[in-house]
Parts: sequence; C-alpha cells; structure tokens
Amino acid sequence: MLQVERLCSFYGRAQILHDVGFAIAPGSVAVLLGRNGAGKSTVLKSLIGLVPPQTGRIRFETADIAGLPPHRIARTGIGYVPEERRIFAELTVAENLETGRRPPRPGLAPWTAARLFALFPALAELRRRPAGRMSGGEQQMLAIARTLMGNPRLVLLDEPGEGLAPLMVRQIEVAVRALREEGVSLLIAEQGPAFARAVADQVLVMEKGAVVWSGTHAALDADAPARRRYLAL
Amino acid sequence: MHGFLLTQLLTGLASAAQLFLLAAGLTVIFGVTRVVNFAHGALYMLGAYLGYSLITRAPPTPLGFALGALATAGAVAALGAALEIGLLRRLYRAPELFQLLATFAVALMAEDLTQRLWGAEDLALPRPGFLAAAVRIGAARFPLYDLVLIGLGPAVYLALLALFRTTRWGVLVRAATADRDMLACLGVDQRWLFTAVFALGAGLAGLGGALSLPDATATLQMGFSSVTDAFVVVVVGGLGSLSGAALASLLIGLLQAFGIALVPRSTLVLVFVVMAATLMLRPHGLLGRAPGETGGAAAAPDLIRPATPALRALALVALLAAIALPFLAGPFLLSVATEALIALLFAASLHLMMGPGGMASFGHAAWFGLGAYGAALAALALRAPLPLALVMGMLLAGAVAALFGLVVVRLAGVYLAMLTLAFAQIVWAGAMQFEEISGGDNGLLGVWPPRWLQGPIGFYVLALALCVGGALVLRRALQAPFGYALRGARDAPQRAAAIGLDIARLRWAAFTLAGAAAGLAGALYVFAKGSVFPTYLGLGRSVDALLMVLLGGVGTMSGPFVGALVYTGLYDALLLATDAWRLVLGAAIVAMVLLFPDGIAGAVARRVRA
Repeated sequence: MLQVERLCSFYGRAQILHDVGFAIAPGSVAVLLGRNGAGKSTVLKSLIGLVPPQTGRIRFETADIAGLPPHRIARTGIGYVPEERRIFAELTVAENLETGRRPPRPGLAPWTAARLFALFPALAELRRRPAGRMSGGEQQMLAIARTLMGNPRLVLLDEPGEGLAPLMVRQIEVAVRALREEGVSLLIAEQGPAFARAVADQVLVMEKGAVVWSGTHAALDADAPARRRYLAL
Repeated sequence: MHGFLLTQLLTGLASAAQLFLLAAGLTVIFGVTRVVNFAHGALYMLGAYLGYSLITRAPPTPLGFALGALATAGAVAALGAALEIGLLRRLYRAPELFQLLATFAVALMAEDLTQRLWGAEDLALPRPGFLAAAVRIGAARFPLYDLVLIGLGPAVYLALLALFRTTRWGVLVRAATADRDMLACLGVDQRWLFTAVFALGAGLAGLGGALSLPDATATLQMGFSSVTDAFVVVVVGGLGSLSGAALASLLIGLLQAFGIALVPRSTLVLVFVVMAATLMLRPHGLLGRAPGETGGAAAAPDLIRPATPALRALALVALLAAIALPFLAGPFLLSVATEALIALLFAASLHLMMGPGGMASFGHAAWFGLGAYGAALAALALRAPLPLALVMGMLLAGAVAALFGLVVVRLAGVYLAMLTLAFAQIVWAGAMQFEEISGGDNGLLGVWPPRWLQGPIGFYVLALALCVGGALVLRRALQAPFGYALRGARDAPQRAAAIGLDIARLRWAAFTLAGAAAGLAGALYVFAKGSVFPTYLGLGRSVDALLMVLLGGVGTMSGPFVGALVYTGLYDALLLATDAWRLVLGAAIVAMVLLFPDGIAGAVARRVRA
C-alpha cells in the first residue's frame, strides 16, 4: 500500500534522510525504531509533505505523492499524528474532532465522534472542554481521534507513547490494535522496542537517516549484534 | 444637562459603531493570517466611493440604500480576495514588515486609481428624507440614521461571533489561526480559508465605507486617515481580538464624543493617552494575547562584518567625490545632493532602529518633523542662530522620542510599527490643528541660514559635515559594545536578558538616539528649504525612510548609504517626471518586496559571497 524508494530530505542545507526505502503491506503495522535523531520523525514528515523530499519516490496505493502539499496527501488517505500532538488548544474536544472530519472512504466504516468516544472513553466526558486544558495522555488520544475523523487508510504516529504514564500507553496500544482490526495500516515511530513489540508486524530500524535493518520482531530478537549496534544506548 | 449627556452618549455610540465596522475587518484578517493589512483604509475608501456610485444609482429608498451598501460590501470583498490571491499569498512566510510594506503600496495605488476613476473632488451623498430624518429624544433631536448605526454595530459583532463560534468554517478558521500546517495535515486547504477570511475582512471595510457616507463625504484622504483610526482601535483592543475591537471602539467612540463636547481639540491627545495608557498596562491590548510563534520562518540575520578593504576604498572615493562636488556641480545638482545627504542621515537613523534595533517604525517622520518644527520655531520665535536652532530641533525630537520610547520599547513587531505610525499621525494632526503655533497647513516660512551659509555651496558643506558625520557616529555606535548588545537583544531577547543586558533600556537608548538623529536631519531640512509644513511629519515621509532602508537592505551596514542615494536619485529623476507617482511608487514597492527581499546592498553582498 505504501512504497518508499530512495527518499532524500533536507532541513535547509543539511541532509537528514539518505536514500530511505521501505514498503508497508495493507492492514499491517510497521514500527520505525531508532535512537534520538536517527531521522524517524523526518520520514513521517516527508510522507505527509511537511518536509517535502528533495528526491525519491513515495507511492501510496495508486498515487505518487512525493512533493504534493500536505492537504493533498492527507486527502489521498494518509493521516498524521505529530509527536508534539499539535491539538488546537483553544478549540474544544468536539471542535478539534470537527477539524479532522473528511468524507467517508469506500471500504472503510466511516469514523464518527460517537465511534471515537467509544474507542477513547476518556474523551467522551471532555467534549466541551478546551483541548489545551487536558492532560498529555488525553491530548494524545484527541490527536489520534482527530486524525481518524479523516477516515485515513494509513496512519503515521510519531512517538505516541512519549512522556505518557504507563496506563495511558496501554490505552493507546489498545487503540492501535483496534485500528488494525478495522483494516487501517499504521506506521509508528518509536524509540523503545517495548511498544513496538506489543503491536508491530514489521520493524524498520533507522540510523543516521537511513533504514539499516528491517524484518520481523522474532528476527530482531535473534539478531543480537544488530540490536546492540543500532538500538543500545 | 441631562439631554446633553444623552445626546453625547448616543453620538458616541454611533461613532463607536462606525469605528467597529472599520476596525473589525482589520482585526479578523490579522487574527487569522497574521498580516497587518495596511490597505484596509484603502478598502474602506473604495467602499465609500463604490458605495456612492451604487447608492446614487439605486432608488432613494431605505431598501435601495441597504442593497447598495450590501452590493458595495460584496464588490470590495471580491477585490480583497483578488488582493490575497495575487499578492499576500506570496508573502505569508515573509517578515511582517514586507507585508505591511506591500499592502501600503496597494493603498498608494488604490488612492491613485480612485482619483483617476472618481476625480479629486469630495463626493457627498445626497440625503433623501429617510437619511435626513431625526428623532426627538427628550428636548434634543437625534439623527435616525445614527440610531440605525447604533443597532447595526452590535448586530455585525454578534453575526461575526456566531460565524466563528458555531459554523464548521469558523472552527476551521480558528484552527488555522492556531496551527495552519497541522490543519493542512488534516486535509484542509487552508489557502482558501485565508482567501475567504481576507474577503470577509475586506467586505466589512467596504460595508463600513459605504455606511459612513450619510455622515461624511468620500475623500481621497480617508484611506490613510481611516487606517490610522483602525490601527488605534485594533492596537487598543488587542490585535486579532474581535471582542477587543468592539470594546476599544466603544471606549474611543465615547471618549471622543464627550471629549469634543467638554474640551474641543482634546480628541487627538485623548486618543493618544488612551492608547499609551492601555499599552503601558497591557502591552498586547485590552483583550489581546502575547503573540506566539509567527508564521514566518525567521531566518537568522546575516552577521555584520567589518567593511572589507575594497568597501573602505569605495567609501573613501565616494567621500572625496562628495567633497569635490561643489567644484564640479551647478547649484541645482548641489541642492539635490544636499537633500540626498539629509536623506542619508534620516535613513541611517531609521536603520539603527529597524536593523540592529529590530524595531520597525512606520512613523519615523514624526522625529524628522519634530526636529524640523523645533528648529523652525527656535529660529523664528526665539531668534536662535542656526547652530542653536539645529541643536534645539535635535533635542526636541530626541526628548519626545525618549518619552514616547518609554511606552513603546516593550512592544515588538507589528504593535510597534502600528503604534509609531499612529503617533506620527497624531503629531501630524496636531501640527495641522494647532495653527497658532505651527501655522497649520500653511506651515512656517522664512527660515533661512545666516548670510555666510546662504547659497548652495555653503549649506552643502554644512550638510555634508553634519549628515555624513552623524551617519558615521550611528555606524560607529553599532560596532561598539552597545551595538553588539542591541543585536543580541534583537536576536535572542531571553538569552540577552539572562546575561544581564537590560533590553528595554538598550532599545530605549537606540530609539532615542534614532529620534534625535532624525530630528537633526529634519532641522537641517528646514534650513535647506526655508520652510516647514505638516507634510514633513506625514506618512509619505515615513515611507520614504522605510523605502530607503529596505532598498539598501536592512541587514547590511552600508544599506542606508546606498538606499538613500539611490532612492533620492530615483525620486527626483523618475517620479517627478510623471503625475502617476503613487501608482509608480506603489508598483515599485510591490516589485521590490517580491523580487529583492534583502535590498540592493543585501543582494550585492549575497552575490559577492556566493
């Protein structure tokens, strides 16, 4: 469903991504692992168009999306949940959801506020609260829910568990599984392998702006040198 | 007494409604797009002229009037959309100053085109019975139309609130205000939201302009005078806050109504006192908030390096040429050169504030004009000799800048630009109003240098010494620890404060120094011209200075030198040859903003380094 080939991205003159390539199968969950600064967030930002790639191809379903503006990429069915969450602090929870609402897509049951409140019960009680006055975990749920209102087929999640209490991380894990059951694909950037182990079908390890290892969890468990080399602190 | 209070109250409410209609669009546009639309007054003016044409063609009935006003709003909204798509869209990520400048250029062009289309005469709407009608309130009679306005202001306010609070469009607009990139990632094409907001703001201006017709005439000057009023309302209310604009309109409208009635001629001072007091207590206006991160990606300004040997040699050659000029040139060229020298000092003083000081001023002419009036009054009323008159002009400008500086140096960005503009306009209006001191529109005449300096050569030499000397002093100050501290405070205020720099004082010192230097330029200008007029304080002269600095390039030290010479040369050679100077100047500014964002010296420096 998503093929990325030889992707190179820059911040100003500094090259961040060097020939990044990988593919994600429909309905699967892939995790980008890597240390701080490995380029995980930049991959996601390049995919959604916030950091337009200089060269390389990004094919999503039937469309070439590299270089399109973010709103066009989002309309092809990619949702993006940034690391900083970027909820609209002065809008209420219900209004935040409204900003994400897009028409339904064939083959996917359309998300509604009611269905999302069922997925994230904590949000249901906060409908009218300004989003800026919620806890970090609640804001993370809202950020995910807001993106789902666009009925994406692929969701890019940047460090969804960062800075959250273990209980909140659990809830997000549950939500990710529920999404996969709906047939939504996910690409999740994470620093630690724990979350990945819980949800991922495929692991992509990044270092210095390139994908240096990919495979299943079992394979990564078996490959101690790779774990030491790329992931140990 | 009772009836007097009621009439003044109603008058105040009616003018508050007018002010709100004028300012609402400006604050809405700023709130969403972060663009201070200088052309807002021009749109208001177009609303008045278009409204005149449409309403006089409609049947003279209340319905005809209402439809004419609405059609005007629609037409001006369409113009606003075109302006956004054609120009502003390219400037959202540019520095604020460029947006101000580009929209200023649009205002200039609009004024020129309006004069071509409708003529230079003021247009007064005929007043059919329903517009001239009055209502008896107690013992007094009050215009019916003003009562309608009193109802219309709050109605528009509530309609706008409902639009932003309850509709999906309003939710999206508010989200775009907070984080446009995130909204784009959710699949919303925010460009069209911005276009629509701009059209809405422009439409409000157009409506306000059309509705001002029964109480006032449509004039070519209303564009710039109304944008000043709108700036004051929006700054007092808080940039981007609709409720703030409503509150500020009410405050200013009522104060003016009672002020005029109690102390005629107090209104200018009153408005300024309200503004200064508000900003002292709440630097971001009554209901405004501290600006967060602005949309523009602030590129790190280029470092200022010491002049290269080649540049020093070039400067020396230029200086020698300037010294040799009296032996080579005739009187006309010498007098042009004298003006260029004065322009150089004026531009250098603004550059000090704007570049290293980081304080863009749209009212720098205030200091130039105060210096000019100070010197002229010293020479005429006190019979001061020329050196003393020059010093007094400089001191007057410096002292007022020092006082005003206390209010403004804590502000940043557009607040500062708008407040300096408003202050300059108030000083200008004061010079027009207080005729017994300033001579009003007729100015003060017959201020000539003593005999030994008369004739172009003597005065040229004096101007050369004072202006080049002054500009070099300013340049030297920037290469001293004071200049380093000032630039540090501009680039990283928190870090500068953390190492013990008193930022407000640094900026205040730069502001005062710049004011005094501009005052000296103004004082010299009086003796070069022999007279002083309110135009010396006018917006046009502030913009001259801005253009010189930008033409040269804000980020370079030689910028003001290059800019002042090129601009004076261009102005005299080219602009005076055509009667469409506003059109040409406006188009030139737009072209410059779009093509040479870092000025001539900046572009050359970039070329040299690459």
